[in-house]
Formats: sequence, C-alpha cells, structure tokens
Amino acid sequence: MTRSSPPTRQVVVTGLGTVNALGSSVGAFAAALRAGTSGIAPLTLFDTAGFRARIAAQVRDDAPPEELAASLRRRLSRSDVFALRATAEALTESGITDVVAPERIGLVLGGTTGGMLRAEECLRARLEGRSTRYLPDPILGSPISVSADVVADVFDIRGPRLSLSTACSSSGNALGTALDWLRLGRIDAVVTGGTESLCRMTFAGFNALHALSLEPCRPFDRRRSGLSLGEGAAILVVESAAQAARRGARAHAELVGWGNSADAHHLTAPHPEGTGAILAMRRALANAALRPDDVDYINAHGTGTPLNDAVEAAAIGAVFGDAASRLAVSSTKGAVGHTLGAAGAIEALATILALRDGFIPPTVNLAEPEPEWALDLVPGRSRDATLRYALSNSYGFGGNNTSVVLGHA
Amino acid sequence: MTMSSEDLKSRLKELLITGLRLQDVAPAGIADDQPIFVDGLGLDSIDALELVVLIEEHFGIAIPDEEVGKKAFASINALADFIAAEQSRDA
Repeated sequence: MTRSSPPTRQVVVTGLGTVNALGSSVGAFAAALRAGTSGIAPLTLFDTAGFRARIAAQVRDDAPPEELAASLRRRLSRSDVFALRATAEALTESGITDVVAPERIGLVLGGTTGGMLRAEECLRARLEGRSTRYLPDPILGSPISVSADVVADVFDIRGPRLSLSTACSSSGNALGTALDWLRLGRIDAVVTGGTESLCRMTFAGFNALHALSLEPCRPFDRRRSGLSLGEGAAILVVESAAQAARRGARAHAELVGWGNSADAHHLTAPHPEGTGAILAMRRALANAALRPDDVDYINAHGTGTPLNDAVEAAAIGAVFGDAASRLAVSSTKGAVGHTLGAAGAIEALATILALRDGFIPPTVNLAEPEPEWALDLVPGRSRDATLRYALSNSYGFGGNNTSVVLGHA
Repeated sequence: MTMSSEDLKSRLKELLITGLRLQDVAPAGIADDQPIFVDGLGLDSIDALELVVLIEEHFGIAIPDEEVGKKAFASINALADFIAAEQSRDA
C-alpha cells in the first residue's frame, strides 16, 4: 500500500445489480465471466435485413418486474426495465434504504439511447398504417433522463439526481460523479450505474460507419474488425466506508478514484496519440493517490475496432511504462458486447467481481494478440489472481475519456 | 345506427385493451361496473388523455373537460351510457 495522501473519505460499494447478455443477476454474470462465455449471438430484437452485421449481445430475459402496477409496467422502455431490475437487486442486497433517508440517497445514471426502441416502434406503427395516430409513448419514454426518473419513483430515491450522456463513457462518468458527491458529503449514499437498450438507431449507425464486426468481436486480436453491440444495465450502491462498517454492510470493493478528459480531435476516432486516454488514466491514478505499479489489472475499453485497441494499448504503455508488462489487461466486450452508455458500469462491475473474487476476466474471442504490444491480454480463459487495485477504462465517441479506479475492499 | 348496449360495451372493452395496450387484460376480465382508473384497471391520467382521443376517433364524440370525463370514465357502464346519450342527442 503506497497511497501517500488518502482522499478525504473512503468510499465502498455495498450493493451490486445487473441484467446483461451473460446473466440476469450478479451471480450469473460472475460465473459466466469466469467461465469465459460469450453472450454475442444472432440479434432477434428487430429485423436485421439490410444490415451488414446480424449479431449482438442481446438480453433474452427482458420482462418488466411483475410487482409493478400495470399502468407503469406497460409504459417502461427496455432501458427502464433493465435499470429497474438491476436496481432492485442492488438495493435489496445493500439494505441502504432501511437506514438512509430517501432525501439523503443520490441517483446518477449513464445512458445513450433511453427509450429510442419504443419511439422507433411507435413511428413504424404509424408509417406502416398499424396505428392511426401517434401515441404519447415517445415523449414519455425516450428522453435519456427517464430511466433515472422511473428508478427514483419506484424505489423512492429523493436526493440529487443526474442522467449523464457522454457516449460510451456515460456510466463511467456516473460512477465518478457518485464518488465526488460522497467525498463532498452532499449525501449519504448513491445509487449509480448505467442502462442501455439495443435499438435500430445505434445498430444502423454503427453498421453504416462499418464499425460493427460481422463475427463476434475479438478485442486486441490481429484480425479484429469491429465491435459487437450489447445491452443491459449495472447498478452499484456506494457509500462511505465508515457508514458501511457502522451498519455492518458488506463492502465488495473500494471506489478509489476517477479521472476524465476530452480529446477535442474527431467525432468518432480517438486521438492517434491517445492523449485523452493517457490524461484520463493519469488523472484517475492521481485522484486515487496511487502510482502505476499499485495497479494489477486494467479492464480495458477494448472495443475490438482496429483504432481503439491500438490507441488504448499504446496509451497504457505510455502511462504504465515498465509496469505495463506485469499488468493484466483484458476486455470483457467479447463476452458482454459493447453496451455503450451502460459499458462503464457493467465493466466496473466486472472489475469489482475480479477484485472481490480473485480472478482476471478473460478477453473472450482473442486468439492472436498483436505481437508488438508487450501486454498480458488474458486471451480466452480467466485466471485466478489476487488483485489490489484495478482500472476500468471507458472511451466514447467524440473523445469522451473516463477511467475509474477500484480497489480490493 | 346505434349499437345495442351489450355490443357497445364489448366494443369499448376491446378499444381499452388495444388502444391503451393492456397486455395482461382480457375483455372478460373487465367488469361492466368496475372503475376504469386507479384502483380498478390501474389506469392513470395519461391513459385518460389517450382515452379521450380514442373516443373522439372511434365515435366522433368529444369529451370537453375533466368534469365530463370523470363521469364518463367511471366504468364501462358509465362510458356506454355517455356514448349512447350523445349519439341519441345527435340523432
């Protein structure tokens, strides 16, 4: 332990919840991660005729929670359903709502498409003559802020609420914001994470950009040819370590620090020298008061696109120097897909499970790592390992870079 | 031409289910005197706005304000009576 000046207060994660293509609970997700299974399969959520790519990491178990009133249940977007189910799991486990007043619990979620899928269906029904008028659904369900509204309403969370949308770093920024709120003492607990539903707009858009891989994505592989989209939600309950200890709550991991930065370079491509990625990682380490050699594992953004993986590998080399060769670096996107606005949260959850359970999640579908990268990319199979600190990277279109530091509790 | 009272009630139940997308409800599951909103079928104020449009679209009958809406939307019986009265007034 080399932390010289610890941040003002230690923050820990005391509740976990998820719904994604690998499983509908944290236990199922952890088992699938460790087994190295992939959730990428033919996409059936909508017709893929006309698209180059036909696969995605789709959530199959997508029913709205049965205990909700019928009037609410049928208005929920797919993103809302994922967020509600993950929040229910996280809150039940943490027990935070039994001890902290609703006004002292904050909520900050990331996402990029909200209820777009339902808006698309509403528009299609009208255009195809299946509906004679437009329904109120698009305005009720499509704004990115609605999932947080619904979660707050259902679980009676009345503290500060934010919905963040910074492309694929959205929920990484949500976790960082939650950490800041707790350090500032603005509230006593935060429900944070992200939710994202597959929809035609993102699928068609990434397809048009030739960013989608025709086969399941293979991050960091020499033959990588693009990303595979995914969907789902991950929700964390975070609070001060002191409060968690006082109430006897289980700390799964410590949320140690975070950093973000902007490339100011291009709408889709990362800066060729990785300046933004490097800055975000350095800021995250400084914010956590850690040195590069304190970190044992990086859960990379690792989309499987030729550019991202090359720039990210070089950026890791630049930040970690000699320490890079003894780091484990893996991408979980070959398993759970690229879940866009939920990626930061789902991958932070994977990182928390790695720290807690003592394993390194593999880079699923990686067969031939690029030989010039001197990185341990954990191809194919998970490994047992005791990890002290880990970084979770999220890089979004438009040059939105976020790194979150997590530590063994 | 006006419908028989029973035909009108079954048409209204179908309209509620399809128009408001009540996936878990069957026409037989809606009692004629059951409250439509809140405790009855669990519908809310946004559904009421949609129902106003549906009634106007399918029967050509406008519901001018909340006062009239509250009475007309009390139950399937009330809605059928309201529509029958409006139709006979126009006839």
